[in-house]
This record gives sequence, C-alpha cells and structure tokens, in this order.
Amino acid sequence: MSLLEVSGLNTYYGDSHILFDVALTVERHEVVALLGRNGAGKSTTLKSLMGVVSPRAGSIVFDGVEIAGRQSHAIAQAGMQLVHEERRIFGSLNVEENLILAGLTATNRWPLERVYAMFPRLKERRQSRGTDLSGGEQQMLAIARALVREPKILLLDEPFEGLAPIIVRDLLTTCRALAEAGQTILVVEQNISAAMTLADRVYILNNGHIVEMLTAQTVREQPQMLHRHLGV
Amino acid sequence: MFRQRPLVIEILTVIGLIAAPFVLPYLDFTPTTMSRILVWGLFGIGFDILFGFTGLLSFGQSAFYGTGGMVAAYLLTRVGFSHVLFPVIIGTIVAAIVGYLVGLIALRRTGIYFAMITVAIAEVFYFVEFNPLSDYTGGENGLPGVPTPTLPLGFTTIHFNTDWSLYTFFAFWYFVGIVIALRIVRSPVGVIFSAIRDNPLRAAAVGHNIHGYKLTAFVVAAAYAGFAGGLLGVLQGFMPPEAFTFDTSGQLVMQTAIGGAGTLFGPLLGAAVWLYLSDFFQNTLELGATWKLVLGVVFVLLVCFLRRGLIGGVKDLYELMARRGAAKVEPEEPAAVPGMAAEDEQKAARIAFAREPAPPAMPAARREDVKVSGPILQASGLTKRYDGLLANSDIHFTVNRGELRGIIGPNGAGKTTFFKMLTCEVPPTSGKIVFEGRDITGMSVTDVCQLGLTKSYQVNQLFTQLTVRQNLTIAALAERRGKFRLDMLRRLSKISGLAEQVEHTLELVDLAGHPDKSVSALPYGEKRRLEVGLALACSPSLLLLDEPLAGMSPRERIDMVKLLRSISQGRTVIIIDHDMDSLFELVQRVTVLQEGRVLVEGTPDEIKGNKAVQEAYLGGVLAA
Amino acid sequence: MINWSNFISQVFNGVVLGALLALISSGLTIIYGTLGVLNLAHGAMFMLGGYAGWLAYTYTGSFIVAVIAGSLFGMLVGVVTERVVIRHFYSRPHEDQLLVTFGLGIVFVETVRFFFGSLSKTVPPPPGLVGITPLGFMFYPTYRLALLGIVAVALIALYLVLYRTRIGMIVRAGIEDSVMVDSLGIDVYKVFMLVFGIGAMAAGFAGIVNAPVVSIAPDVGEAILVQTFVVIVIGGVGSFPGAVLGGFIAGEIISITSMFNPGYSYVMLFAAMTLVLVLRPYGLLGTAGRE
Repeated sequence: MSLLEVSGLNTYYGDSHILFDVALTVERHEVVALLGRNGAGKSTTLKSLMGVVSPRAGSIVFDGVEIAGRQSHAIAQAGMQLVHEERRIFGSLNVEENLILAGLTATNRWPLERVYAMFPRLKERRQSRGTDLSGGEQQMLAIARALVREPKILLLDEPFEGLAPIIVRDLLTTCRALAEAGQTILVVEQNISAAMTLADRVYILNNGHIVEMLTAQTVREQPQMLHRHLGV
Repeated sequence: MFRQRPLVIEILTVIGLIAAPFVLPYLDFTPTTMSRILVWGLFGIGFDILFGFTGLLSFGQSAFYGTGGMVAAYLLTRVGFSHVLFPVIIGTIVAAIVGYLVGLIALRRTGIYFAMITVAIAEVFYFVEFNPLSDYTGGENGLPGVPTPTLPLGFTTIHFNTDWSLYTFFAFWYFVGIVIALRIVRSPVGVIFSAIRDNPLRAAAVGHNIHGYKLTAFVVAAAYAGFAGGLLGVLQGFMPPEAFTFDTSGQLVMQTAIGGAGTLFGPLLGAAVWLYLSDFFQNTLELGATWKLVLGVVFVLLVCFLRRGLIGGVKDLYELMARRGAAKVEPEEPAAVPGMAAEDEQKAARIAFAREPAPPAMPAARREDVKVSGPILQASGLTKRYDGLLANSDIHFTVNRGELRGIIGPNGAGKTTFFKMLTCEVPPTSGKIVFEGRDITGMSVTDVCQLGLTKSYQVNQLFTQLTVRQNLTIAALAERRGKFRLDMLRRLSKISGLAEQVEHTLELVDLAGHPDKSVSALPYGEKRRLEVGLALACSPSLLLLDEPLAGMSPRERIDMVKLLRSISQGRTVIIIDHDMDSLFELVQRVTVLQEGRVLVEGTPDEIKGNKAVQEAYLGGVLAA
Repeated sequence: MINWSNFISQVFNGVVLGALLALISSGLTIIYGTLGVLNLAHGAMFMLGGYAGWLAYTYTGSFIVAVIAGSLFGMLVGVVTERVVIRHFYSRPHEDQLLVTFGLGIVFVETVRFFFGSLSKTVPPPPGLVGITPLGFMFYPTYRLALLGIVAVALIALYLVLYRTRIGMIVRAGIEDSVMVDSLGIDVYKVFMLVFGIGAMAAGFAGIVNAPVVSIAPDVGEAILVQTFVVIVIGGVGSFPGAVLGGFIAGEIISITSMFNPGYSYVMLFAAMTLVLVLRPYGLLGTAGRE
C-alpha cells in the first residue's frame, strides 16, 4: 500500500477551479517531485493535502486513512508536515521556541540536540527571533520545524526559491541526507535541476492537470520530455 | 431594489402614513408612540444610508442626534425663536458640519477601528454635553420649554399642538426624509455607496474617490440625525440629555438590524417593534425592565440567523418562492469530454481555435487621443525593494499604442510586483513611469484609472451582491462623472451616455444575455468575463490584464482567448499569464522577466527559440 | 496654582487606574489579535466578574473567595461565549461580529439587571486593607494602594503566562499566524476558546478587585469599554505591550485632567486617540495589517 494515494482531487479558490482531477501516489521512502510552470497549481496541491485548503472533491488516502477535507491539525497528527512556500516562521518567537512549539503535540518528537546536529547554524542562532533570521536560516528553521514532528511524509513547497546558490547547495545536501535516511518527501520546485538531484520520480502539472509521470531515470536519459512541458 | 417603478414606494409610504392613525390604535399604539416611532425612523434613515448602504457601522450617531436637537432647542428656548422649523434646520446644518469634522477623524480607518472611534465619539459628546457645556444644554435636566410648531398661512395659523396634529407634522417630515433618501439611493452616489459596501478596493480601482463618498454618507447620516434630534425636542416639549448617550446609538443600531438594514424602512419597523414590545412588556405583562433583555436576546438571535432583519427575511421568503417557479439555470461550461486526456483536449481545442476566422474589429475606446502613435507607456529605471529583498531592479519597459504585449517569467521574476507598480498599486522605490506623456509615478490607483490606465485582477474583484449591469454601471459612472461628484439627487437615467456605455461593454464581454442576474449566481467563466468587463467599462486607453486565464478549464481558456483578441482591437493591452501556449497565440510581443530584471523582448517565435529564456525556465536541464 | 499633594495623589490614582485599564485592555487586545474579533461585550464581562465576586462575598464573607469567583466566572463566560456563539462568526463579515458581541453585551447587562436590579452594590475591601495609609506628604486610601499591587501582580502573571509558558507561546504564535499553528498539530479552535477565556478572565478579575473602589452596577462596563478602546487604539491593536503602555497613558490622562475638570477627561482621551491616529495610525506599539 502506498503511503500517499491521491485520486480525483479537485480544488477551488472560491469558484476558480485550480486542480482538475489530480491523481498521484507516493511510496514509502521515495522522493517524488511535482513540477510545473507557476500558476499550474503545485502549491495548491500541497495545500490541499495538508488541509490548508479544502478540496471540493477527491480522495486523499494517507497511510491507509482518508484525510481529504480534514482540519490541518488532525492531518499533522496523522504524520504529514508541510513546509510552506512563504515559510511562515513565527517572527515574534525565537528559533528554539519555534522548534519547541512544533513538537508540542507530536507523538514522537526529535530532541532539540538532534535538530541542532542536522542544522548547526540554527544552534548558533537559537535565541534569535524569527524576524532576525536571514532567508536561508528561515528556510532551515521551517524545514527543521517540520522534522521535529518526525513526519511520515514531508511536503516541501519551493524550498530553494529565492536563496543564494551556495545556500541551495547546503540545503540540497541536507535534503539528500534526509532522503537517504529514508524520509519520504514530496517536493514542489521550479528549480528543476535541484529537484532532479533529489527525486526518484516526477509528476508534471500543467494548468491544474497532471499530464505526465516520469522516473528520474527517464528524465536523465531523455531530458527533452521535461522540456516539452516546462520550457517555453 | 429601488430601481424599478420609481413612484410606487413613495405612494405606498403616503398611504401607510395616512392609514396608520386609523389602524394602529387597535394595536394599542398611542399617537405619541407613533410620533416617536417616526422620529426614530427618521433618525434611522440616515443611519441606514451609512450602514445598510455604505457598510459603515457607526455606534456614535447619538452625537449628531443630540447636537442637532440641542442647537434647535437652545435657539427655541433660550434665544427666543418662535417658529420651530428654522431652528431645527439650523440644528441639522450644525449636526452636518460636526459630522463632517468627526468624519475626517473617524474615517481615517476602517472596520473595527472605525467602530471603536465612533463609540468613543458617542461618549465624548455625552460628557461634553453633560458637563462643560451644561449652561447651554441644561446638563442633566435638558432644555425644557420647546414649543410646538405653527404654520402661518396668512389668513389663519395652524397650531400643531395636539397629539394627532403633531403626528401629522412628523408624518409629513418623515415623508420628506424618505423621498430625499430614495433620491439619494437611486442616484449615482447611491450606487457608489453600495459599491463601497461590497468591494471598496475595486470601487477605488475603477476610479472613484471612495474616501470622499464615505465622508458624504457620514455627513448625510449626521444631518438626518440632527434633524430627528430637533424633532425629538418638539415631540417631548423638552430636549433630553439622554439623546446623547451611547445607549441611544446602540438602540438605533439594534432597531435597524431588527427591522432590516439596507431597506431605508428597516429603522422604522425596528422602532415600531421596539416601542411596541417595551409598551407590551411594561404595561400588559407588567414585567418591568425585562423587555430590554428580551429585545437583546431577539437581536442576538436575529444577527445569528436572520441577518437581514425582518424586512430582509420577508424578501428572502419572497425570492425563495419566486425561484421555485423559475426554470433551472443551465451550466455555462460543458463538462470535459470523457476519455480524452486533458492535454489532448487542450491541443484539439487550440487547433479548432486557430482555424476560426478572426473576429470583426470592435470600435476603439472613447478617449481623446493624446498622441496618435508612439509609446503610450514608458517605465524607466523601475526598482522595488522590500526590506532588503530586491523584487524589481532597474526595469526599462516601453509599450507602443495599439500593441498587444505579453509579460512572462519564471517564479520569482517579479512579475506581480512589476505589474503592481504599473497600475500604481505599489509605489516604486525608484524610477519613473510615464503614461501618455504624463508622469504618473506615485499617483493613486484612482487617479491613474481616471487618466485611462486600469487593470483586471487575477482573483475576481467584483461587486458580488450586485447584478452584472450594476457592476458595469459602477465602473462607467467613474468614467462619466470623474472621481468625485455630489450629484445625490440626480437620477441615474439622466447621466448621458451611461446606459450606452454599459450596453456596449456588455456586448464586448458577451454578457448581454442576462445582465440583471446577480453576480453570485454566475458561473466562473462569466465572472471572469465580467472582471475584464469592469476594467473595460472604465474606457481605458491602456488595459492591463493580470492572469485573465487563471483557474480556467481548457474550454474556458479558448473562449477567453477569443474574447481577449476581440477586445484588444483598437486598444493597447498588456497581459501577464502563466499559460504560455494561450498567451503566445494572442500577443504580438513578449517581455521576459527574470529575477527582477528584463531578460529579453521579442516576438513569440523569437522568445520560444531563445536559449537564455529556456535556461531561465529549465534551470540547467536542457536537451542535449 | 497647583496643589502639589493633590497632584501627586492624582498621578498615583492615574497609575492605579492605568494598571487596571492595562489589564482589561490586554484581555481585549489578545482576543482581537488571536481571533480577529473585537469583543464589544468586554465591558459587560468586567461587570459580570464584579457581580460574581459580590455574590461569592455575600455567601462566604471572604474577599479572596470573591476574587477567585469573579475571575473564574469571567473565564467561564468567555469560554462558553466563544464556543457557542463566536465560533460561528469567524467567516462572517466584521460588522456581524461587532453586532453579535454588542448584542451579547446588552444581554449580559440586562440579565444582571433582571436578577439584581439597577441599584449599585458594594463590596467592602478586606479588613486588613480599609482606611488610609500615610505616605509621608499625603494620605492615600489603603485599598487603592493594595489594588495597585494586586493588579501589578496580575499583569506580571499575565506577562509570565504569555512569555514564559508553552500555552503563552501558542497564544503568541496564534496572534501571528493561527493557520500555521494549526498546521503544527495544535487545534486552533481550542486555542481561540482558551484565549477568549483568558481575556474575559482578565476583565472579570479587574471587575471584582475594582469593586471596593467603585461600587458595581449593571452599567459599569460601558465606561470601561470606551476607555479600553481608546487604550488599544493608542497602544496598538493586538499588542500586549501596547495595551500596557496605552493603559498607563490613558490612566494618567484621566486622572490628571479630572483635577481640572472631570468632564474634560474624555475629551483629552479622545484628543490623545486622534493624535495617535494621525501620527501613528497603527498605534504606538502596533504593527500594520491588523485591521
């Protein structure tokens, strides 16, 4: 049984139809990338999974349980975590408080030391308020915060956007380590090369429709398949 | 609601006012109570215009009620005016002036700040009236000795000094108040009030000075309050300090909500209910002060379950029964053809579109041509910095008159910020924008729209509680009348060219079929067309379209592209969208943004073949 | 010329009043900051706390029991109000929220009037705190002195809860971004209920501890409500430090102007509020976007 099985997902913003019968699966320990031009609905897909936006129709079966339409906190309790595109760090709280807050209702939580071991930079800045962190540090904190809850699946919404290449490289290393340790990840990205270094499979979303599913192998061998949908 | 059959409501009002003295006494209404209801009703007309029509919930109307009343009573008792009407009118004018000054402060903020400020205003006025000014206002005793009205007719004088003759006096002025209010509500200003209540952002964006209109509504409410306050003194024979209390404001709010806000008659009905129940509880049931508790509970229940009050509830019932009889509405978009993959359907639809002949050219926009050809918009050195994040950097961008230009760019390119700077929603950190030879940098959205530059929004910004026609009328009114005009007593039908402009726009966006349908009942594709229509109704010489294809099915996209192609004839149009396939079919030139800068410009074919653009989108993964 | 001992006395009164206003306004501001709802029934909750305390005092003769009763009753009213009424109004327009809390305020006031009449009731200060304390150059009512201490302790307690406990962390995070709090597995509706309860408790506590100074009556909440509004407009909506700062400013303004002419205190408050609105529209310590 797949860890995540999505079928017939239709999400609207008001009466603007964004996702049209989206279907995808994610297996345990896999890294799946969701690619597409901006406006395709990638962010909306992740938000629908996490319950930030309620889908109007469709099924989301997570670890054998139907979660479509449930409230976010229940979905978080079921083991899903979303790192938002805007990161949404609590600016008035410091780094450590952000991490502690994340773990409050988790059944298995990462001890702070484990978080700091993976993100030494955050340990240095543990007393800094969220608003005082740089973009890269905020992204690190957002990911660390999600990991504190030891999620069964980690959803990443454009984690590398707006970051300097050197920071992207560091983050990529961290993500690769996570994937190698068995963390299941569903990542939405516009930076295709970054996504392809992580992904085992990719789905391509175009104007709210899933139009293609490719294995990483296929992409490496035939990159023009991506070009068709994602180029100009 | 008030648009059809103009005189019906006025006539019904007259009939009601004449019939009341014959009918209501059977329900134990005394003439004094009925007069009191009329005074509250008059007080409420102004409040309803402010709250029910313009959407501004004020808890401070007692300030103007008391002010108008005290000024009138003072002139009548201490200064020695004998005729009642003149001091009451002076009181009204003073209340209106005070309303203007208070409005300048209170309307600086919206929503809860506005509510809080009005509460504070009520309390301030009460305390000032009670203490420092007690010499003029009689302090806690009020001003006794207010005379009853007289009407000299040359050969005789009518004295309104019995209960029933007083009723006649008040009924007459209530009628006058209603007639004026109906004129206001049916005037262009009244339509704009409704627009402000519904979507103030869009009302400003289509070219209305919404602050000015809000202040107008506030002054109108203050004037009605002042007039009613003056009449209160006449009714009671003395002017009570209770007129200034916060309780009075609160009672007005509750009565209006109970009767039904946005109906003009709601406050009257609410006052009748209030006074009837208070009488009933105190005299018949002898439960003393419990009636206010009961009314409070009734009020809370109404707010929870019958939001539009008693009149609104009756209207809802009526509409429910009318709808039962009407035919079901056909869904606008046919469902996707089963069995076809979405992508294939898009491709097939596009081929079908390409084969269709180009639609006939639409007449050009009506605006004096400043220049016949050449650049219509020139942005130079446009930069936007947000707290260290450089969203746009030194952009130079020119569009020529009559062009159809597209803007694309990968995520983070700064397209949204750039667009917002062009429409002046966001001021640039540095740089200049010149539109039709005029420097528009730093202007407001309203002013820029009046000059001929406007946009349609990515997320629909419609007046959802109004009809299609009313939506377009609001935009057209700004174009016809400028950003602020106080034509409150003018009929809409008297605005020359308005109806034509609305009809023309309806045809342009293919919504002429059912223009009097409420926006909330429209399917998404039609709402999107109306969204473009709102911008078109401003008669822009430069039209910006922000992701016009957002959220559309493949079929809807085809229709929209056709529509956009037809409306761009004779106009200059700039489009941002992510749907590059559709965009490239449509536009003549494309500007590509990347990381806040202009990367390249060219025809769609040139862009498609440009390596740098491919690199920007694909980020390193390229065909070998 | 100014009578200096009178002046000092009034400044002191201003501090006491300021502390009280700071406490009540903090309650209102965290409710608005977290839930986005302006609680027009907040003054009525102040009044309810006073009555609950008075009832407890009548039955037990103990001031401390009265204070506990007032606070707990305040919390109960807050929790029940949120759960039964307010929760259904989050997606409704702001005006509807204002109308319903306004209506609830009226219902609370009239219910009390129904059961206890309109005449005011007194709650005497506890035996150890009656009378006057000499303070060197002036005499000051002992209970008022104690009141300052009591309210200061309550403010500090509120501060500690907000800034040093896990619950407080959740509330502060909720004020900033309640959707994200929900995403982290914390039921945000429970947070809302708790915040409303805490806010109402602050008002109820203030209602009973202030009872020995100003006797309780059904309409005591009305004046408090207006003063609270002025405080949070000056301090900045949604900000606890803003409520404290605004509270002391308002308290001093009221006290000092009442030396010259009691009627003008409201005018001065309003003038101060207008000044802040013009110069710093979001309040002295507020942040933008909290409309």
